[in-house]
Amino acid sequence: MGTSHENLERVITVKAETASLAVIRRFVEEVATEAALHVERVFDLKVAVSEASANAVEHASCNMALLEVRARLRPRRLTFIVTSTGRFRPPSPQREISNNRGLGMPLMVALMDEVSFARAPGGCTTVSLSVLLDQNATVPA
Amino acid sequence: MDVTLSSIGETPLLETRGEIDHNTCGSIETALSDALGDGHVVVLLDLRRVTYIDSGGLSVLLSGVRQLRERGWLGVIGPNPNVRRLLEIVGLLVDPGFRVFADRQAAEAALTE
Repeated sequence: MGTSHENLERVITVKAETASLAVIRRFVEEVATEAALHVERVFDLKVAVSEASANAVEHASCNMALLEVRARLRPRRLTFIVTSTGRFRPPSPQREISNNRGLGMPLMVALMDEVSFARAPGGCTTVSLSVLLDQNATVPA
Repeated sequence: MDVTLSSIGETPLLETRGEIDHNTCGSIETALSDALGDGHVVVLLDLRRVTYIDSGGLSVLLSGVRQLRERGWLGVIGPNPNVRRLLEIVGLLVDPGFRVFADRQAAEAALTE
């Protein structure tokens, strides 16, 4: 964990459950505020990272699943990487309908400058959410 | 998450505070469902003290709008600018079954239209 804003990197690991979402948002707020992002962009990041985490929670197959959120600040971008360490179960059409899902992805795409997904061997899925700092007003330190 | 139920005239007014997310939206969903089940054509939700909403909460609002659209509308009061942006992104601000009011007085005025 560094203290320099040039190359800050932090990580938290929480249980993959919806009760962890508020904890994740506090983590995002802390990092994004420290990176001097405008309050509106802090909110955007909180929503996007929370949505990615909620998706991971929804697809976690057992109570022991964990969720890792890694913050990576580079000179021109702030990225949050959400990784579920639990195994993923196949999508269930019934579950999608009953939960009225489908808004999370559009929100992530609308609010972030870059969104990417990766499926690792073993079933872990990683979602990376970035804001480009050059394109966003920051609050003077 | 606590949801307070009151009314303006005969129109139910739900009020909550804090963060509406996947973990907390169940109580709003239940309260809204109860109001809709009673056959009201308009339901109001006071969001002035709501600091955050995610797709869980937005889904509850969308579901309410879908159920009310044919006979009335769902109104929200005082969403903060960030919450309002999310309402716009998911299309609620242009939905004929959804209305936004700055305060309770404006909502009350709309009920007499």
